[in-house]
Amino acid sequence: MVTRRDVGRMGFAAGFAGLFARPAWAQAAAETAVAAAQQYRGQTINIVWEAGLQSLDPKNFSGPKWKELTGIDVNVIEVPVAEMFTKIMQEYRAGTGAYDALNVIPAWMPDLVNAGALEVLDPYVEKFGYAEELQMIAPTYRDNQMMVDGKIYGFPDDGDVFVLYYRKDILGDPALQAAYKEKFGTDLPVPPTTWADFDQLGQFITETTGGKPYGAAFFREPGYGNFMFQERFRVEGGRFFDADTMRATINTDAGVKVFTDWLAENKWAPAGVEQWGFVENLAAFLQGETAMTISWPPYGRWAAGYGTDEEVMSWVPKSTIAGKVGYALTPGGHPELAAGFALSVASSSKNKEAAYLFIQWLNSESVSLERVQLPYALRDPFRTSHFTSPEYLAKWPDAKDYLAALQAGANSGLLDLSLLQTDKYEEVLRQSVSRLWAGEDPKAILDDAASQWDAITDKIGVDAQKAVYASWSAKSGAYPKM
Amino acid sequence: MSGLPFHRRKGTRLAVRYVIACLLVVIFCFPIYWLFIISFKTPDEIFAFPPVWYPESIQFDNYKVLFKDGDAVSVLNSLILASSSTLIAMVLGTIAAYSLVRFKTGGENLAVWIISQRMMPPVAIVFPVFLLYVFFGWVDTYFGLILLYTAFALPYVIWMMRGYIEDIPLELEESALVDGCTRWEVLWKVVFPMARSGLFATAVFTFVFSWNEFLFALVLTRTEVTTYTVQVTHYFGGQSNFWAKIAAMSVLGTIPVFIAVATMQRYLVRGISMGAVKG
Amino acid sequence: MTAALRPDRNFKYWLLAPAIFLMLLVGLFPLIYSLIVSFMRIDMMDVDTSFAGFYNYANLFQDKRLWLSLAHTLLITAIALPLELVLGLAMAYLFLEKMPGRQIFISLLVLPTIISPIVAGATWRLMFDNRYGPINQILGWFWGEPVTALWTINPYLVYPALLFCEVWQWTPFMFLILLAALSNVDKSQTEAAELDGAGFFRTFRRIVLPAIWPVMAIAILIRGLDLFRIFDIIWALTQGGPGTMTETISVYAYNQGFKQFETSYTAAIAFLVVLLLTVIVTWAIRRMGLAK
Repeated sequence: MVTRRDVGRMGFAAGFAGLFARPAWAQAAAETAVAAAQQYRGQTINIVWEAGLQSLDPKNFSGPKWKELTGIDVNVIEVPVAEMFTKIMQEYRAGTGAYDALNVIPAWMPDLVNAGALEVLDPYVEKFGYAEELQMIAPTYRDNQMMVDGKIYGFPDDGDVFVLYYRKDILGDPALQAAYKEKFGTDLPVPPTTWADFDQLGQFITETTGGKPYGAAFFREPGYGNFMFQERFRVEGGRFFDADTMRATINTDAGVKVFTDWLAENKWAPAGVEQWGFVENLAAFLQGETAMTISWPPYGRWAAGYGTDEEVMSWVPKSTIAGKVGYALTPGGHPELAAGFALSVASSSKNKEAAYLFIQWLNSESVSLERVQLPYALRDPFRTSHFTSPEYLAKWPDAKDYLAALQAGANSGLLDLSLLQTDKYEEVLRQSVSRLWAGEDPKAILDDAASQWDAITDKIGVDAQKAVYASWSAKSGAYPKM
Repeated sequence: MSGLPFHRRKGTRLAVRYVIACLLVVIFCFPIYWLFIISFKTPDEIFAFPPVWYPESIQFDNYKVLFKDGDAVSVLNSLILASSSTLIAMVLGTIAAYSLVRFKTGGENLAVWIISQRMMPPVAIVFPVFLLYVFFGWVDTYFGLILLYTAFALPYVIWMMRGYIEDIPLELEESALVDGCTRWEVLWKVVFPMARSGLFATAVFTFVFSWNEFLFALVLTRTEVTTYTVQVTHYFGGQSNFWAKIAAMSVLGTIPVFIAVATMQRYLVRGISMGAVKG
Repeated sequence: MTAALRPDRNFKYWLLAPAIFLMLLVGLFPLIYSLIVSFMRIDMMDVDTSFAGFYNYANLFQDKRLWLSLAHTLLITAIALPLELVLGLAMAYLFLEKMPGRQIFISLLVLPTIISPIVAGATWRLMFDNRYGPINQILGWFWGEPVTALWTINPYLVYPALLFCEVWQWTPFMFLILLAALSNVDKSQTEAAELDGAGFFRTFRRIVLPAIWPVMAIAILIRGLDLFRIFDIIWALTQGGPGTMTETISVYAYNQGFKQFETSYTAAIAFLVVLLLTVIVTWAIRRMGLAK
């Protein structure tokens, strides 16, 4: 035991010091996992994964590969993201051991830990020598999406962050730039760095071109609108709660401004943008109908035409804009680290060690690098080494700009709100977005939302929630440093 | 139908009725056409604006994906659940109905209680059923869902079979008893064969109801026994609406129902009206 | 009494036992369980099984969202049911008289009723899409310019969209049943009435309606109860949105039970629903003269 612990400590030290050269006697975490997993040959592990594209990774790549290396079968349980928390909680209550390993959105982690659904991973990390490689995960994710109360419950496994995509050819068009300068007296910002500039430019493009293309489009569908709101509200200076009283403060001027600005933007965005989700927004951008948009990292890869000729990607409309896309921080400079995934072990699993070994292997330096480069992957770079991988940098001509934008976003990004029973608070936000599109008054919606938040807080217990909020807001990515 | 009271010339009237009938068929069948046609479209055709009304060529890629990913297994799951529960419910329901009809067991009250079970709103029991299933470890098992669907089907089967058994002449059973048959033999050799067409018709509708069930399947399945109705909703939202998959999966789940009901045209009305109309 | 009517000892109970046992297991047992749980305080974080009195029931009365969801349910029922009935009746009259190809028409018209409601909802989701769906396209032809109506988001359109889907799926149900009922009406009576100079509506009210009422009442009851627990179509089309505008009692109970894990509170809601339904059904059965 003592020696193992020492190894772990040295690993920590090495990670912190940035001494990436591994001692000769240390094995790569992937190999350790494969070697240790041999004893479970012939067994099956069930892993919960987001339904659809996300699960192509374990179904087509990592699952079969793990089976080949260890003889352990991987059964992928696909659950839509909206049902995931529900299903994991239900299953934990059911206690049938149907799930071994889990994909967990980090914001849920405290709730799942409190309920007892997640296994503490520290002993395993120590036993299987993973501490060193774990520390090499990009700091934002490592420091914020891994632990609850000082214990490890999940391995951050997806560098989700919003990115501003813009058409370099349109924003760089001399005629458009001249017209912009004439109208506003300032240079056309390439790309816009504040929301005021963004809105002015977006409206200008739509009006100048008559909607061919539109200035911009966004996610407006409530599920994603929730993330967009959380980011922009904080960029506008908003705070979710009064830290002393724990009363909700989302109905302040910042909140109302975000909603009011959204309504104004819809007037020059494509008609029907209110119900756009991931694919509608993607299709419009790839087909050249919008000049700017904000989304998760996969847009950038597909816009460059990377991997879209794969058969499984046939549902993605063909990109007409490869080579014309610029990548930048979202206006305000603090993109939402929206959602993301961590890998955890279910406490009700009957096969915890095998499940653990699988997620260590998935999450390790070498295997994760392969996974984030899968053309159909929705896993985005989350390790420092992913951002600097020579292989990744050479994937397409602008890949270095792309990875640089992702890394910059990871460094300045904002965390999703994470409290006790986070989902209830987020549900209120989702409904607020929905009501906004239904035409209700922004201030009235947010007043109502604030009182619903207060009611939830009261039911949970003000003091308990206050303590959780205090430790959350102390994190580096909770609020932008102004 | 203001046209009816007036005495127009017969030919004109028939023509008008035809026009309206065709219009109705277009209105009621167009959405189904649209569903089918999307499943044969390529992604570019699905995401074409304005929408295209028929694909360049019929291609089955959307179905191939479902089979390759193993999603099509959910249709098989639906098939296993619906047919097993139908079979069991038909046996148990028919003998129960026989008891109700021939021996007036429990009187009218029992019959009314049974049909009132059909009226129970699922939402009132879905949550406790979930907890019960958790307790027994029946979540995500064929056994659990078959048991549930059987129980749901029973009121309908009993109610319907009651009507069909009432139509069987008593003399036949009596002569069988006189010939020395036991009670069970009478059931097996006289009642079942005599009620054959009713049994078959009731079975088809029981099958369709189980086949189309969604709420309990949503709550009680994880991965092993996911039904096609739950599978369809897996394609909503998330990163996208997977239109092609939604359409292809729906078609796979709909074709068996069309076939089942097509064989049962004659009994359709009696089946869906719970016996209120004797066809 | 004839021999066939005299049961062997207990035989008649053996025949019934398995069926009754199963129905009790999934019908009655959960209800009793619900009742007990509804007097406790179990939620996602707490499993407090001590007696909490009427805590959950008291909360029901302050829960605006619950009563709104009940109102939505009644609104949908109040509009869809008469529409389906009237349209179904009209269609039944259209096909009452013989015409060549009648059976083919009827078979085609029945298709919506037999597909799964979840598939029906999915189908209309595709139909109503503001960009890639044909509804807006068709409306655009009449309107003369592109229509971008947001059917599932716009508060003025979401109910028409839902109702359209619902009526589309279930009008054929009414149509089929009423057609069968109308076919059984004695033709000589209606013809005699018309010869006496009675108008169509008068004949309908005096002669046809009483004749078809028993069947019609059952059709109304079946549809009414199904509408009261409407879930699938809404789940597929709007999931209760925008906001909670189309949240019905079933959708709300699902959200409370399986999304918020308000175990005890959900049990109380379930009981409220059962209570309401029992009252309504008893009243309806009496009122419609179905009790025999």
